[in-house]
This record gives sequence, structure tokens and C-alpha cells, in this order.
Amino acid sequence: METNNRNIRNEINEKLGDDVLRGALGRFAEAYPIARAKAYENVDNSEAIRDEFRDMKIHTVNNIEKYADEFEASAKKRGAKVFRAKDGDALKKYLIDLCNEKGVKRIVKSKSMASEEIHLNHALEAAGLHVKETDLGEWIISLAGHKPSHMVMPAIHLNKEQIAGYFSKELKQEIHTDIPFMVQVARQNLRKEFLLADMGISGANFGIAENGAIGLVTNEGNARLVTTLPRVHVVIIGYEKLIPKITDAACILRMLPRGATGQLMTSYMTMVSGETPVMVKQNGKWVEQEKDLHIIILDNGRLKAAHDEKFKEIYQCVRCASCLNVCPIYTLVGGHVYGHIYAGGIGAILTALLNSQEDFDKINELCIGCRKCVEVCPGKINIPGLIDLLRSQTVKEKGLPFGVKLVFENVLANRKVFHNLLRLASIGQKPFTTGNVIRHLPLFLAGMAKDRSLPAVADVPFRDRVAKITKKIAKPAKRVAFFAGCNTDFVFPETGEAVYKVLQNLGMEVIFPEDQSCCGKPLLGMGDRDIAKKIIKRNIIAFEEAKADVILSSCPTCTETWHETYIEVFADEPEWKARAEKLAHKFREFTSFVSEAYDKAGRLTPAAGGTKVTYHDSCHAKRGLGIYKEPRALLDATAGYELVEMKDCDKCCGMAGAFGIKYTEISMPILKQKITNIKDTGAEIIAVGCPACMMQIQGGLDKQAPHIKVKHIAQLLADKIKD
Amino acid sequence: MNKRMKKVCENWKQAFPTENLGEHLFPEFEKRTTQASTELFRVKTAIEAQEIITNLVKFTNAKKVVAVDSPLQNAAGINEQLRSMGVDVYTDPYDIAEHAESADIGISSVEFGIAETGSVCMDGFSFESRLVSMLVPIHIAFMNSNNITLGLNDAFGIISKVYDRGYVSFITGPSRTADIERVLTIGVHGPGRFILIAIDEEVAGGAN
Repeated sequence: METNNRNIRNEINEKLGDDVLRGALGRFAEAYPIARAKAYENVDNSEAIRDEFRDMKIHTVNNIEKYADEFEASAKKRGAKVFRAKDGDALKKYLIDLCNEKGVKRIVKSKSMASEEIHLNHALEAAGLHVKETDLGEWIISLAGHKPSHMVMPAIHLNKEQIAGYFSKELKQEIHTDIPFMVQVARQNLRKEFLLADMGISGANFGIAENGAIGLVTNEGNARLVTTLPRVHVVIIGYEKLIPKITDAACILRMLPRGATGQLMTSYMTMVSGETPVMVKQNGKWVEQEKDLHIIILDNGRLKAAHDEKFKEIYQCVRCASCLNVCPIYTLVGGHVYGHIYAGGIGAILTALLNSQEDFDKINELCIGCRKCVEVCPGKINIPGLIDLLRSQTVKEKGLPFGVKLVFENVLANRKVFHNLLRLASIGQKPFTTGNVIRHLPLFLAGMAKDRSLPAVADVPFRDRVAKITKKIAKPAKRVAFFAGCNTDFVFPETGEAVYKVLQNLGMEVIFPEDQSCCGKPLLGMGDRDIAKKIIKRNIIAFEEAKADVILSSCPTCTETWHETYIEVFADEPEWKARAEKLAHKFREFTSFVSEAYDKAGRLTPAAGGTKVTYHDSCHAKRGLGIYKEPRALLDATAGYELVEMKDCDKCCGMAGAFGIKYTEISMPILKQKITNIKDTGAEIIAVGCPACMMQIQGGLDKQAPHIKVKHIAQLLADKIKD
Repeated sequence: MNKRMKKVCENWKQAFPTENLGEHLFPEFEKRTTQASTELFRVKTAIEAQEIITNLVKFTNAKKVVAVDSPLQNAAGINEQLRSMGVDVYTDPYDIAEHAESADIGISSVEFGIAETGSVCMDGFSFESRLVSMLVPIHIAFMNSNNITLGLNDAFGIISKVYDRGYVSFITGPSRTADIERVLTIGVHGPGRFILIAIDEEVAGGAN
């Protein structure tokens, strides 16, 4: 875990074969969304709380020095000693010196992820100190010699048999596997530790500048004992936990327990400000004195992040781990693979900023960009966006792997070469049943993947079919320029044909600007911004020249890339930025545009049922573009289809661009669940609005349910239009 | 007489808002705190609390109690009642420090409840008030049924008026963990039972 020599692929396979982990995470992934929704049942406007919290944190990070100074002054005024540690080494030195000075021998700790981040326990033990974690989960993993695999439930990867084994070994007696009994064993053993400890070390869920208080939430009550019983209390708090006022704690506490464990509130919430009384026994007699309170504010990369326009967003993290609980990858492989110290997507980001970019590089590809996490994050952190950004930093510094770079520069940057290769691929693939490099080109970023057969490249790409299907429309209602995207152009040309049919049926003129190429998203996903920009500029020119009223795509990912990334990449090229913005304004996704047009034409009224169809929400359509009602309305309005919903209809199918191909072993279990959910609806057709999902789901259906057909919404609509 | 107990605020009531507070919020508070496994009893007068305590001592066979003083508890005459039942009751701070770890029951009072979450807010500045709520297997807390705030925002509104320094806690049910196989298990480091006695009558000095 600690080294950079991680072989993620081996680790993935190991975890996928770990039935205990798979079972625990699987059950949790099922239970969590229900528990969370229930916890929010008595909150009127959770969006307002999220906004309030986010705004408060943005204000704080923008004034971080001011609030850190105020926090320090407030705490000192009330008798605390405050030390600012620039990194783990400085913190450890201060702490060990303090232990020596105060004659501390025994330490009890309540949970502190910051102390995990800097491997504090090792250092304290090496200095001859007796250190005990008291959070049950943390204690278990310390006995096991593991790292936490979840920020809130550190031992979720272990079962009671394994834990009883660690207990038996530690206590040198047979501990049987009755959970309440095991908990009592832990209580008794750790109680002794609390009573004998000279020092308590706690983390902090928040630190209040106004009065120097720190706040802690726990269910077990160990943090109350850690902060009460020993004569010395040390708080380790990261800068990101600071808040200006006492009242600012309310919005944190309204979301943290609800998101973390589905509780309205944890059993205990504790705030400590300044020195508090403590009683110690001296010569057999109890005496009361002021407790020695030390607050260590840990930097370790946090202040640098605070001054980065993008990465300061991590200050909006409350460490609730909601993002892990909904992450399709985390819930398959757990935090030991997808994580370093901190787990999951947010963990990858924190790893890069607080540990090292090298550790991040090993795990960042595991984010599939589905954005389920963004939907539940209290602070609305754009986790996939930040991971993309970190990835592009790595590429900028170190470059892409040689082979990839070669393909990008020589093939992708030149549309004609790229498209010729794709045409060749359609011929080249015929005699072969197994893949070769050329075969995989439509999914070039998957180009490095070997162990999966991909859908065939179409015999005739869409661009060569355009002339045949284009109708002359007299007095067109609109002039629409179609942006096909690679998948529609070269793998699913029939989707493009369907788009033409539907639009022409609406009396619109459709044109296909020949010079269009890949939207650039795959390159950006790999972190290569320079080549992406070249392609983007060519697309912009091609569509400016089209002089259309509307630009339309049947791919939500391309759409979102045009809407957002095209503008974002030109932050320092204002002329191109303006041009991109102008086109973005005209750019529409197929289902939302057509449902609007149908509505205007009075065609969006529910029609009688027919063939059962279920709909899969693509991540980019649902969470990127906010489009999920429109495709359903279109299906409802088309005679001959009956829409039936499936379980987890908006959960990622596992494709996520290149991911599904590069990490087949993770992608396949996700896909399998998706196919099971589809089958359970009894639908004959699975409708999608995204060609990448279509590719993935088609692959899964072939194996598991060949009787079910996957179709793009455009096709379903076109099928019901008479020629 | 014991030394005066240290508090974050001597009179929390003065910080209570006029809105979003009152006995009308009790049913919602009851629902939420019961969901969190608090054992809640509501009585009209302080003296009625005696019966609850008598039954509890009988059922649990409690022999030793540590208690910090509060007007509500004094009005209920709990300490005298317990002693009459042959229970050892310790109320002196140093005695509490000595005996809390081995006591069967701890008794204290709390300042107000929060309907949104079913939590109660405890002023824990004094060391002994914390011990009686942390180390014992059963914690009994007294509160006034009228002192219920609507939500966490209101609660922090109150706290921000009185909290300069010291120790303030929310308690929401008993100590719990789900760290082994996510199985909810009660009573890990703190009390396994949290018993809340809400008294309707106003007692001079409030909860304090």
C-alpha cells in the first residue's frame, strides 16, 4: 500500500475474488441509498443546506489565513496551546517532544484520518509510546495491521470470523464470533486503556474560529472519553476543517451523519473549547486541574490546495464518505485498491494533494466519471472533474505513455488519417475473430486493452451514408447540423440514420459537416489537452461554416463536452473561447431537442402501450446534462411502447469511455448487475440515449440475454415513423 | 454542600428563542429520540419520576449510583429515594471521580432537546457531569418537556449565545457501533442505555 510499486490489476483481481469484501460492500451498496433517503425525510430542502454549506466553505477557504489566525487566537485565549505543523514530520516531532516533556507513556486515540495520512502511530510506537486506537473499527484494523478501507467504516472489509481471530490473537484467549459479545470484549479491554492513559489524541470534524472550539461526532462515545479522561488532550485538525462561526456547525451536522451512516445524528456530538477541568489521582487523592490542551493544525499540502483556484474545492469535503458509498467501483473493489489512505474518488484527490502525485497516478484511472458521487456530496465537490484535472497535470509533467502519444499525435490529430484507419478497420476485422490494434481504433483510448472483443466497426460509416438518406426539405422549419461522434459515425451508423429520419419527419433540414472529427473527450480523459485543443478547433471551424440554427448530437458525452469542456479548455484563448461559447449555445442533445419539438407539434401526449421498453440513464445525460424526463416522455408518447422502469436505472453501465475496456474485470460485474436489472423488468427492449452505453449493454446482452434488444431512443422513434 | 458545578452557562433558558421552541415540538422530539433508542418517559410533576427510578433500580439490581445535582433532580427527590432503597449514591465530584467507573447508573440533567434529530444538549463543562454520562452502563438524564427546539439551526442559535468556552455535547440515544459487519450493536464505549425523563412542570432554576 505504501509503495509506488502497486500492481493495481493484481490487486483488483484479488479483491474481486474476496467473497467477504464483495458480500459486505454489495450489501452496503444496496442498503445505503435507502438509509440515506430515509435520513433526509424530515429535511425540507436539502439542496439549500448543501448550498449554504458550500458557500460557507468557499468563503472560509478564500480567507483561510484569516480564519486560521482567528481560530488560533481564540483557542490560545482560552488556554490551549496551538502548533501549526507544516507536514507529518513536524507534527510527529512536536508530539513526541510533548510526550517527553509531560512524561506521557500511554496514549488513547479516537479516530483521526489526518493521523492515518501521516502514519502517526508508527512514529509514536517507534518512540517507545504505548498507543491504542479506541474506535472499534480502527482498533480492529490496527490489530489486523491493515489500513482503513473506508473513511467511516474502516473495517468493512473484514467479517466477524476474521475479527474474532484478531481478537483471540491479541487477547491470547479464544473469542467466539458473537458480535455483541465481541463488542463487550472490546469495551472491557479498551476501558482499561482509557483509564490508564496520560494523553488522548483526537481528530476534529470541525474547528470554530469564533471561539476556538473543535467538534467531534462519534457513535461509540470513544471521543468523549479520549477528550475527558487523560490529563493531556491533543487535537489534530486539518486546515480544511475550519469554519468561521459556531452557527456554521449546524449545516455540517445536518448533513454529515445523514450522509455517513443514514442517521439523523450520531449518538454523540462533542465540542471542546479551551481548557476544561480534569481530575487526576495524586498520592491516592483526587485533585482537579486544568487539562493540558494542544491543538495541532496540520498543513501537509492543504494550504497549497487552498490557494489553487480548482483544488480548493477539497475544503468542501466533510469526510462523510457518501461518495464511496455510491461509487460503482469502490463498492466492487473497496478502499484498499481504490484508495491510498483516503479511499475512493475523493481519496484519489486527497492522495494527490496530501500524499503524492505518484500514489494518485496508480489509482486515478479507477474513476469512471459517472458522477453518482457529485449527486450525493454535501459540498457538491466535482470529484470526477478534479480527477481529470489532476490527470492532465500528470500528463503535462510526464507525458503520455509512448505508444498512446504516438496514436494521439499521428492518428487522432489528423482526421483523415483517423477516419481512413477506421474504414480500414472495418475491412481488416473481417477475417479475424480476435482483436488487433487496428480493430480497436474506434475506442482508441482503449487501444491499450487487449482482452475483450469489441463491437465491429460498421461496413459503411455513417458519413458515407449521409448522401443517401438526406432529403430535400422545402421550407425547412430549422437547419440542423448533426455532430455524430466516433461511435455513431463508425460503430452505430443506424443511430445516425434514425436521427435523420426523426428530424426530417419534423420538417427540418439536416446537414453533416464533413470535417467533423472526434469530440476530443477521450483525449481529455487521458489528460492530453494539447492535442485535444487542435481537434476541438477543427470541429469549431467545421460547425461555424455549417451556419446551422441548431447543432445536434445523439451522444450525451459529446454534447456535454461541447457545452462545457470546449469553453473551459480555452480559458487562456479568449477568441476561441468566444467562438466555442457561441456554438455551445446552439448545441443540443437529441432527446431533449426532439421532445421539445414533439411538444410544440402536439405530439408529446401519452400513447397506448405495446412492447415493454425499459430505459437506462447514461451518467452524462442524467447527471451531466440533467436529461432524464425527456427520453421517457418520448417513449410514453410513442404508440407501441410501454415504459417499465428498472432498478438503479441511473447507475453506470460500467463502460465509461475507455474504462470498460481497460478494466474489464471491474466493468463486467457492474454490467452483469445492469443486465440482471434489465431482465427483471421483463422488457423486450432496453432503450438508451448514449452510444457508449449501447456498446456496453449490447455486449452484455449477447452473453446473458440475447432475446433483449438494445436500441437508441432515436431508433425507437424512427421505427414508428412510416417512410 | 458540594462545590458549585462548573457550567458553560448558568442559565441556558435566557438564550432560548421565542420561536421554534416549546412543548408543542415534544411529539416530534419523542418520535426521533425513540427512533435513536432513547428510553423516554414523560411525567407531569418531578415527583412522578420516582416511580420510574424505583422500577429501574429493581429491574437492574443497581447498587451504586453517581449523580450530579440539578434542580429538576432535587425536586424529584431522587437521591433520597435511592438511598432509602439501600443504593449507594455519590454526588461529591471527587466521589464521582472515584466511583463512576464501577457505578451501575449515572444521573444528570440536560438543557434542551432538538426535535429534528431527537438529540439533547448537555452542558458538560464540569468533569463530573461528563463522567456520569460516559462511564456508566446506564445514563439517566432529566429535562424539561417545554425545552424542545425545532432543529439544529435553532439549537446552534442558542449555543452561539452562551458558548464561549468549555464542553458541550449532544446525546442521541445510547452508545452504538456497526463496525463489525455493519451489525448495529449497543453499548460500546459509552452507556448501553440512555433513559430520558421529561418533566412537564417548571422547576425553579430550570434544568439547571
